[in-house]
Formats: sequence, structure tokens, C-alpha cells
Amino acid sequence: MPDIHRITRAAQLESLSDFREFLKDHCAGYPRVTDEILYDIQLAVDEACTNIITHGYAGMDPGSIILDLELTPEKLIITLTDFGHAFEPESAPMPDVDTPIEERELGGFGLFFIRQSVDDVEYRTTEDGNTMKLTKLLM
Amino acid sequence: MLKYFRVKSQPDKVVPNLGAISASLLESDAHLPFTIRQLNNLPENVKRRVYRGLIPPALLTRFGIDPIQWTGPNKAPMVFLKAEPQSEKVLITARNSPDPNDEFFALEFADNSLNGIELNLIVLNDPTTPRYSIDQTEDGQPTMFGTLKRNMKAEEAAKDSGLAPGQIRAGLGGSRIVFEQIDAFLAMLGHRAYFLEPLTYASAWVFERRGFAYVRGHKLMDDIQREFQPGGALYQCLDDGSAFRKQDQASTVRGRAWAIHDGILEALDLRWDKIRMVKQIGRHAGVETFPQAIY
Repeated sequence: MPDIHRITRAAQLESLSDFREFLKDHCAGYPRVTDEILYDIQLAVDEACTNIITHGYAGMDPGSIILDLELTPEKLIITLTDFGHAFEPESAPMPDVDTPIEERELGGFGLFFIRQSVDDVEYRTTEDGNTMKLTKLLM
Repeated sequence: MLKYFRVKSQPDKVVPNLGAISASLLESDAHLPFTIRQLNNLPENVKRRVYRGLIPPALLTRFGIDPIQWTGPNKAPMVFLKAEPQSEKVLITARNSPDPNDEFFALEFADNSLNGIELNLIVLNDPTTPRYSIDQTEDGQPTMFGTLKRNMKAEEAAKDSGLAPGQIRAGLGGSRIVFEQIDAFLAMLGHRAYFLEPLTYASAWVFERRGFAYVRGHKLMDDIQREFQPGGALYQCLDDGSAFRKQDQASTVRGRAWAIHDGILEALDLRWDKIRMVKQIGRHAGVETFPQAIY
């Protein structure tokens, strides 16, 4: 049986530290979850939640973000659920990382960092909310 | 527990109405969600069989009502279904006497503009307890449960009796089985979630406990929690200036709810408005905006 844990917070920047702490509390000491892996998933969750906060719930009193964490010996799965505006990751352009930093446009790096930090990203929008599933392999 | 929600005007449809439910449709796709309108277009007896699944049988037998026939001990009808063909709403009510004032259960669902489901109204009250006329002014005008007008005398009496805003009678208890029944019913129809707009802070808190999350208003609930702490803006407005703004109200759900009903959120330049909650079928969101709360 995998270990499954959940935390739900308002979609506001103040909640990001709660999500980071939650991941640390539940992952620390788990076999194969190194400090580097913990850092990667915290970064991915930070970026994904920031997207939800700034774009998903834009123009409304923010609703909830539900974070589900599933730990198995092989992988770690984080599912973020929100009920704001839908977002289509496939339509987001990849940032130009080859251009000198002073010439790059601001923004657009959130999804890039997420994809760099985890092994798989799945996004789904249905009548019961938007979910982003982040998978990090522990092999 | 009694809870009322705002009954909304019918939203504009942004998706086409689905066709009638047929045997072949039932056979073809078990995942396709059915709308209230589709159910309402079924033949009367089929519709009645389907909607029977919305009321927990134990709630009816508690009042001696036959959960199949929907009749009381004297064989008079005690459960009433309003589900007109072509309508996108269904209302089920139950009472324990011929007097409509003795209604202990009411549930209204409607299709929303995305063919999802809205819970417009839920009432669960104890008909044997005193009634407080917070729903009408002293000259008999409707108050919309105190949202449009207020009957201050009745509200003060209700508050003193331990009721929350919007309640006309003490709660019946049993909201857990009702929400479990709703989950099962909507899963049977193929829906994954349903939505509601809580009328009061107290009802939002109850829905959190029943597994709801927020589409809008989670931050507002956090702000309310923070500002009712000693020294907070809302706490400071509890100045004993009226029956609805006593200082001890900060520490209870009902106390906060009455102060918010009384307009205390103006101190934050906010209103109790447009809060929207969602229940995912079979899933408890685990929201707790007032930890270790005393109701």
C-alpha cells in the first residue's frame, strides 16, 4: 500500500511555505528520497502552485489547492487539484534558454522548471477541477 | 443541522441540452453524466424510483414515513417531489405532519450552465423544536433568510437559543448521511462533483467538515480566521455594541456567523458574497479554516 497524504490550502502565496513544509515532513527519511529529490519536488510544487495562484484563480477570491502526495518505493506522485481557470500546458511555449539572460523575456519559466524537476507531468481538466500530476522516479 | 442556500436564478446554458434517457443510451455509455432535466423528462414512476435514491431511508423512518411509499403512519403523503418535465430543477421535501411548517427536509438540485450540478437548497431541521420567524419580517414580508431584510427580534431570539443565521429551527442532525447519500446518487448519475454557495459562515464551516473545498472564498475564510484572533480587525469590531457583536462570539462558529451576518466584514471592506464550494464525489478535501473550532 502506498503512503498517501493530503493538504488543502487557499490559493495564495502564503500557502507555498505550508506545501513545502508538508512535503518535507512526509518525505524526510523516506527510502530513496534524497535532499536533491526533495528540493526538486518542492521547486516543482512551488512553480505549479504559483501558476494556479497567479493565473488559475486570477480575478476571483481564491479558492482551494488540494495537494495529494503518494509515496511508493519506486516513485513519488504529487497531484495538485484546483478549481480555477483551466490551463493547457501544451499550449505554453518553452522559454528560450539559449538567449543571453539580459535579452530574455520575463516569465514563462514556471513550466520549464517543473518539467526539469520531475520525470512526468500530466494535466487534466474535468468538471471536478483541474489536476496536475507530477511524477518523480525514485530509482 | 439546518442549512439554507441562496436559490439562484437559472443560469444561461453554455452547452446543449442532452437528449432523453433511453434504454440504448443506458446501455451504451455508463460514464456519461445525466442531467436533472433528463431525469425530469422520464415517465413519472421511473422518475420517482430514481429520485427515491436522494433521501436516506433512515431519515424518513425516523419520522414513521415509509421510504418506498413516502406516506406517514396514516397513509397521507409526507414526501413531495417537484420535478416538472423540461425543468432543470428538482425539489424534494419531507414533513412529519400535514402542516408545511413541519417540513424537516428539503433538497433542491439544478443543472448548471456546464451540465454540472448545483445544490441550491438543503434544509435539515427538527420540526419538534420552536420555530423562529427569521424568514419573514414582523409584517410578514419575506426576508430571504435575513439576506434581503431582517427580523431583528426573531434573529436575536434564534441566536439566544443557539441557532446559526439562516436557521428557523434547531438542526436535525444527520447531515453526514444526507451528504453520503448525495454522493452515491450523483455517482449513479455519472457526476464527479457538485457545487453550492453557502449562505452563511456557519454553513460554509459545516460543508468543510463534510468534505467540500472552495472554488471561491478560501482566502476569505482564512482572512476571517486571522482577523477574529485577539487584536484582529474583526475581533476589535466585537464591541458589545449590539446583540450580534458580543466579544465572546469570536471564539465560536455560530458567534462569528452572526457577526458576519450583521455586516462585520465591512471592517475589511468585504462582504459575504460569491463564496462557492465544490464537493468531489467520494473525496474529502480536508479543508479546515477554523482549526479546533467550537460550533
